[in-house]
Amino acid sequence: MVAGPSKRRARHLVFLPYFVFLALFLIWPATFVFVRAFQQGDAPRNPMIEAMTGQFRGAFVYSLQISLSSAAIGLVVGSLVAVAIVRLDHVRALRSTVVGYSSVAANMGGIPLAFAFIAAFGMQGLATRLLREVNIDLIGWGFRITDFWGIVLVYLYFQIPLMTLVLVPALDGLRRTWQEAAQSLGASSAQYWRFVALPILTPALLGGFLLLIANAFSAYATAYALSSGGSRLVPVQIRFFLQGNTITGKTNLGYAMAAWMVIVTALLVLGFQLLVRRSEKWRS
Amino acid sequence: MRARNAVWWLVLLVATVFYAVPMLAMARFAFQRIPVIKLSWGNVFDKWTAAPLVETLRNPDFHRAGLLSLGLAVATAALTVLLLVPTMTFAHLRSPRMRRFIELSSVLPFVVPAIALVIGFAAAFRDTAPIFVRSSFGMVPLLVITALPFTHRTIENGLSSLDLRTLADASRSLGAGWNRTIWTVIAPNIRGSIATASFLALTVVLGEFTIASLLLKNTLPLYLAYAQGQNPQGAFAVGLSLTALSAVFIALANRFGGTRPGSRQQR
Repeated sequence: MVAGPSKRRARHLVFLPYFVFLALFLIWPATFVFVRAFQQGDAPRNPMIEAMTGQFRGAFVYSLQISLSSAAIGLVVGSLVAVAIVRLDHVRALRSTVVGYSSVAANMGGIPLAFAFIAAFGMQGLATRLLREVNIDLIGWGFRITDFWGIVLVYLYFQIPLMTLVLVPALDGLRRTWQEAAQSLGASSAQYWRFVALPILTPALLGGFLLLIANAFSAYATAYALSSGGSRLVPVQIRFFLQGNTITGKTNLGYAMAAWMVIVTALLVLGFQLLVRRSEKWRS
Repeated sequence: MRARNAVWWLVLLVATVFYAVPMLAMARFAFQRIPVIKLSWGNVFDKWTAAPLVETLRNPDFHRAGLLSLGLAVATAALTVLLLVPTMTFAHLRSPRMRRFIELSSVLPFVVPAIALVIGFAAAFRDTAPIFVRSSFGMVPLLVITALPFTHRTIENGLSSLDLRTLADASRSLGAGWNRTIWTVIAPNIRGSIATASFLALTVVLGEFTIASLLLKNTLPLYLAYAQGQNPQGAFAVGLSLTALSAVFIALANRFGGTRPGSRQQR
């Protein structure tokens, strides 16, 4: 039986509900953000431009600095943990325990995570107290859980395990024979890592780094709970502009900041996808 | 070799301490009635109590929030399965191109941060279909979208591990319609993936704050944020329980197969 064009069209109708759903609840809302972001109204400047000036630009810089810092530290520590798991793979249940907890911690966030860090590193926190016993006075040094490094510390709780989860499959992809080949050609262990392993791992590492930046950049709940709604981070600022409509003509500014957020995360996620595809080339 | 392994053990030790301390501190704050200032080695084991948790569990506000979150979680998991299983089954059977396209679309929620998604949603639907913004369950589609990258992955893994064409052909040649084939032949064969996807959806919904907060729906995380000021011990106790619960869900998700993040089987 040969399917005619109408029959073929019918065969594809089954995909309609999914794409209508996506269009209605993802594409349309996202488009709406951009439409509002470009509506100037009575404002002297286009909101998209206004969102990139003065204090609003400051919010983006602050958010990106936090994202970059937590992503950089998460990249280093998370990778070390991943290498440790693979190196100590002969130890029973070690891999499944660490990977299992990492997948829990990578999905943590929001209110409970903020609570945990307030209890540990807040003014009256347990860790703050314990560290003071050994003469490390965090509060005296000006550390506050609501400040820049405080937020970075909290974010590390999901950044480190996420990096571990990204890197472990890539490390598994390194073939033992490559190391043996390098060794038989006279390479030292350091040379093997520098000239063979690292270049192969680079896409995974870079991709993980971008993913971590995007991850921290779009986080909202943790920062909101830590600062009780008063943070300078972009997502918290967006809410402020949408709800505190006291400044007239600034409502669309919230949409403009959200639009810029979408642009930034879109670029980061795109980069991540491309790099992951490259890193998977070695594993097949 | 031994000395070099020691370095890696040290890395794991530091990571373990970092992972454990906040949780222990939260547990101590929630369940021990001694302020940190008065804490010493002499009284570490004194005055532990579950009273703050029990009190909060009896609170009617907590009941309302908990029930709402639970209802949203179940609705989200159900809608996810209803939407994804037939669509992805047909994509596997009929069109590899569609399969790739669906896979690509499943990471789109990462591109639109929750805060942008929810304000766009509110603005778009407030005038056209306000029921989505006003009713508590109107946010279920957004939750489905938020969980999509995770749920898609697990169902994709389940379907790829089956010989779908043979199953479908056998079922169809015995006279079953598509509905029956999908729900009584294919779905039971990927029950592990469906369970995993459901647990992941539950976890996402129970922890979701941004969407509920901007739509002013009093879900569990919102109740926690509010209770932090009223009754911090109780709020922290519930927060810890919620964390433990989602840990169990994720452990179950890993156990049931589907995806095992970081494991060798994953591609």
